[in-house]
Amino acid sequence: MARDYGFHFHTMHGQAYWDETAYYQFTLEQIERDLESPTEEIHQMCLHVVDVVSKSEERLSQFAIPSDYWQAIADSWQAKEPSLYSRLDFVYDGKSPAKLLENNADTPTSLYESGFWQWLWLENNVDNNKLSKRADQFNSLQEKLVNRFKVIADYYGINYLHFACCKDTDEDRGTVQYLQDCAKEAGIGDYFVHIEDIGLGENGDLTDLQDQVISHCFKLYPWEFMQREEFGPHALKANTAWIEPIWKTILSNKALLPVLWQEFKGHPNLLPAFFESDMASMNAFSNVKKWVKKPLYSREGANIDILENGKMSLSSSGPYGEEGFIYQAHTPLPKFADNYTLIGSWLVDDEAAGISVREDKSAITQDLSRYMPHIIL
Amino acid sequence: MQTNSKQKRSSNINLSKMRKAFSFKPLALGVASVLLSACSGGREEAVVFKSVDECVDALPSMAQKCETAYRGALTEAAKTAPKYNTRNDCEYEFGNNQCQTINNSGNSIFMPLMAGYMMGNLLAPRPYYQPMFTSSSRYSSYRNNWVGADGRNFGDSRRNKLNVSSGAFDKKPAVTRTMSRGGFGSSVRAKASWGSRSSGKGWGG
Repeated sequence: MARDYGFHFHTMHGQAYWDETAYYQFTLEQIERDLESPTEEIHQMCLHVVDVVSKSEERLSQFAIPSDYWQAIADSWQAKEPSLYSRLDFVYDGKSPAKLLENNADTPTSLYESGFWQWLWLENNVDNNKLSKRADQFNSLQEKLVNRFKVIADYYGINYLHFACCKDTDEDRGTVQYLQDCAKEAGIGDYFVHIEDIGLGENGDLTDLQDQVISHCFKLYPWEFMQREEFGPHALKANTAWIEPIWKTILSNKALLPVLWQEFKGHPNLLPAFFESDMASMNAFSNVKKWVKKPLYSREGANIDILENGKMSLSSSGPYGEEGFIYQAHTPLPKFADNYTLIGSWLVDDEAAGISVREDKSAITQDLSRYMPHIIL
Repeated sequence: MQTNSKQKRSSNINLSKMRKAFSFKPLALGVASVLLSACSGGREEAVVFKSVDECVDALPSMAQKCETAYRGALTEAAKTAPKYNTRNDCEYEFGNNQCQTINNSGNSIFMPLMAGYMMGNLLAPRPYYQPMFTSSSRYSSYRNNWVGADGRNFGDSRRNKLNVSSGAFDKKPAVTRTMSRGGFGSSVRAKASWGSRSSGKGWGG
């Protein structure tokens, strides 16, 4: 059945279940034509949206970005402050154009599984003759991250970098530790501080628990949270350089989706999307029967409702939504062996760097989704 | 493994430095075969001088470099040495009369006196340098040892030739006095108390 869809769901020991023996198989053409090229193209379209939004107060309001941060966003964008990475999530069935669900531009995770374990999994299976010697994988993620850290270190003239994430989150800490290792590989020293422990120094600098000034910081913590917290203004005043830079506030926001649609209406990799305030345009799309209602700020499938002929049919609960919603045309996730499949396509700066495949029993991908390796053959 | 120009994956990645014992779900791989030993990293020779004179005595042909490194180390010390709110706190760590006052926008803060400076890569036009501190406090684990601005202990302060890791001369973050903490993270507390998230999950996407 899966074969009919163009990519193959494999089980190596008859076990259709997650472990290292199951994987997804793509052709080189599927990877290059359907995922790699669209990923880079959509990224450029997204950067165009950043340019438009960063210059428009009306748009910045529509994105629910607090006005205190507008100038900083515009400045950061004009200065082309370097970005590290992003992950575009796609619905892709192996034969139709991949459709962009969202852009995780600010705080993407599952990096370690993609860049490291997936690569190692293939290497091992090829070495043990379980997979063809010709089997390849779309995965230059770790190599590109290391190189990108070198570029960022050159840009800022630094030989060390702070890293930060929240307490009590194994997954985030793991992702940040992996990035620290990539930075070290690039010859950059690393210091870690939990977001909650960041201090304010007497000259307005941000500090770590050793009272060291945080001059440059990778944060796995959303800008939209920082901008609504007590130290938010100091994130700008302290002259700390942030990775990701603050202009990414525009990309990690679901309002990106309707603006992308307005700017590039009909693009094969986009789904129709509209602001709440534009229900008329939405209703004019009579061929779309189902709409997905997404909060401007939400992560990992939280608070997503599916609206069918004006009625809610399936929803995930979660703590988001106070900033407003957008609607995106529903497109079903392809289903292989009882699992819904979502493709995460990685970018390091503006280069496509590989994919990860996630599966879920539910049609809304939640944060418990299983991670699956892939091969190209 | 075969490599060709069309290959879509990196032909090699650093495995040893990235291996983690984290509890990521995916991974019961039989990977013992690729366990590599961690790199040992480069080491280099360094010399510690207690004064410019001591440096010039040891390296008569390098008087200018001795002077330049000393001044650089003093500047670096002011930026990167640990800072204390009271003289007592500083002297508890470094010993009586081992601390100096800095006036910073009307407030006094205290930091240890530079006890020496470490130089490396002596033959280069601009040798590396770092400020060094020592402690005479019997309450301190640094007592009679050389210690760097970031608290790295370089051992017995009677020795002046050190074998240090290549990172020992890297630029260190400046150190200041922290007035308050906890200004980030309230969004997470608010959303976490809402209750449906499983513990251990992050805020990334």
